[in-house]
Amino acid sequence: MQEIFANLAIGFQTAMTWVNIMWVFIGGVLGTVIGMLPGLGPATGVAILIPITFGMNPATALITLCALYYGAMFGGSRASIMINTPGDASAIVSCFDGYPMTKQGRAGAALAISAIASFIGGMIGMVFLIFLTQPIANGALKFGPPEMFSLMMFALVATITLSEGNLLKGAIAITFGLMLSTVGIDGLSGQIRFTYGLESLNDGIDFLVIIIGVYAVTEVYKNFKDIGLVHKFDSKHIGKVWITKDDWKRSLKPMLRNSPLGFIIGVLPGMGGTIATFMSYALEKNLSKHPEEFGKGAIEGLAAPEAANNACSCGAMVPLLTLGIPGSGTTAVMLGALMLLGVRPGPTLFTDHPEIAWGVIASMLIGNIILVVINLPLAIPLVQILRVPTRIMLPIIMGLALIGTYFLNYSSFDFVVVMIAAVIGFMFIKIGIPLPPLVLALILGGTTEQMFRNSMVLADGNPMIFIQKPISAVFLFIAAASLVYALIKNARKKKTA
Amino acid sequence: MILGTIYFVTAALLPKPMIGDQVGPKLFPYIVGLAAVIAGAALFIQDKRPGKASKKAEFGFVKDKDLWIKILLTTVVGIVYGLVMDKLGFLIPTTLFMLFISTLINKGRLVQNLILALTFAVICYGVFGVALKLSLPRGFIESMLPF
Repeated sequence: MQEIFANLAIGFQTAMTWVNIMWVFIGGVLGTVIGMLPGLGPATGVAILIPITFGMNPATALITLCALYYGAMFGGSRASIMINTPGDASAIVSCFDGYPMTKQGRAGAALAISAIASFIGGMIGMVFLIFLTQPIANGALKFGPPEMFSLMMFALVATITLSEGNLLKGAIAITFGLMLSTVGIDGLSGQIRFTYGLESLNDGIDFLVIIIGVYAVTEVYKNFKDIGLVHKFDSKHIGKVWITKDDWKRSLKPMLRNSPLGFIIGVLPGMGGTIATFMSYALEKNLSKHPEEFGKGAIEGLAAPEAANNACSCGAMVPLLTLGIPGSGTTAVMLGALMLLGVRPGPTLFTDHPEIAWGVIASMLIGNIILVVINLPLAIPLVQILRVPTRIMLPIIMGLALIGTYFLNYSSFDFVVVMIAAVIGFMFIKIGIPLPPLVLALILGGTTEQMFRNSMVLADGNPMIFIQKPISAVFLFIAAASLVYALIKNARKKKTA
Repeated sequence: MILGTIYFVTAALLPKPMIGDQVGPKLFPYIVGLAAVIAGAALFIQDKRPGKASKKAEFGFVKDKDLWIKILLTTVVGIVYGLVMDKLGFLIPTTLFMLFISTLINKGRLVQNLILALTFAVICYGVFGVALKLSLPRGFIESMLPF
């Protein structure tokens, strides 16, 4: 326990410099702006703003990225409330009651409660995060290659079994991602694989380039259809961005209830903010004394999912920081950005660079506070950005994406990769193949293969090693069980349908 | 259409595991390749079963012809943009690229697009090249600037 507070103190020492606080502020505002734009969620926001962290020291860069991520979460619900267009999937639920509140002239209260609920959810999530990371990291230090391999298999399987959607299409996304990850010179033997004679592929495919392709450029393509859209809303009737005592009373319990729920969902791989928000909305509707108000502007219907969403984003940081395994698209992007900075998240991060690991945690706390400060008084000026027509925003995003690509390796070949990745990404979306598992597999692929081969060497080529080691066997068993569960669920769905 | 998509997936995935000639680097891709083929085949079977595949998977090349042409154009121009950047520097290609993209999206507003393209290029150069001191490609305009 004392160790945790000592570590947290180190973290605050790292985070509490003026430069870092300034970047938390800038990152938070930029993130909020990106998060607000329809169709652009945290993943895209972090992906296209990675270049601004170049040239910073790792701690500052990490802190800025976290602020961006957080800001995008805060911002996501603004668009839902004001114009009924969610910034990303996890903000869909915020439309249900947020937009009706705006129509009733209570936009101010809606904006305020969403900021407050995000803050409370984030804070509760942070408390869990602070007390959970160290024990998990300590436990994971004992993992050898077989355990790590099984854990990664579990993470990959879980992303497709726990999330909604077609199992097979998810599996295709994963295998495709794994294949991409094997392109280039094999690290262990020096063998060149799958480059088809293209020398530029020898170093492998940079997954950040793919990420920018499928998250930023593909998003632009997705928006090509409704470029004529200009959002109109009346900013005179937003009202005071604050809530009444009655609002507070109605929202407090739902916020407190749903934060732990959101956090747990966030820790589990494959279950991101979308599931957390929908679950908490359903829960509140069931518990409510007047469920008929839900969907017509019930303030708790907005507060609960907002709290759950931000707690969930804290939960998602747990596997990312302690195991180096991202559980969602956004955390995958974060992992990519970290690796670019030479920071390799995982249990050793806590022993080798405690100042970075705890600096991030401390800065998330600070970021949370700064964001609520930004979002309450600045809510009205910030939502004005929603007026900027899509046809102007899209070229800017496109330009930022390509410039970001250039900065990654200073290579023109990356432009080819990013453009092709974007087209393939768009095709995959069209036929319903999910992109997050693909990105996840691409990022984890290299390590997974390495762990697999190290284990095989350890066991003299006997694959039974994965079952003989108890921890490894448990992970594989859970992975298999979740697969079976998903298959049964699918079969049942078909019967009832 | 469904057939096309399935073939696209399986065919693109099949030949890969066959390459690679050592036991070490071969095994993992081999397993992955096998999994991919199974998944592709399973999807193929699922889609073929009558009545079940209610949602047709389509790229919509015909229906959204305009959209795909735009995407194709963007792809080509994006690649060209990357190729000329090393020769022409940052400002000129970026302005041209932005002008192209915004014209594609924001048709018929030439002045607005020109302003957008120029401002974007200059601001990016200022932020990344000057303020953050990242090295940007230098063409003849950039070498005339004092920074």
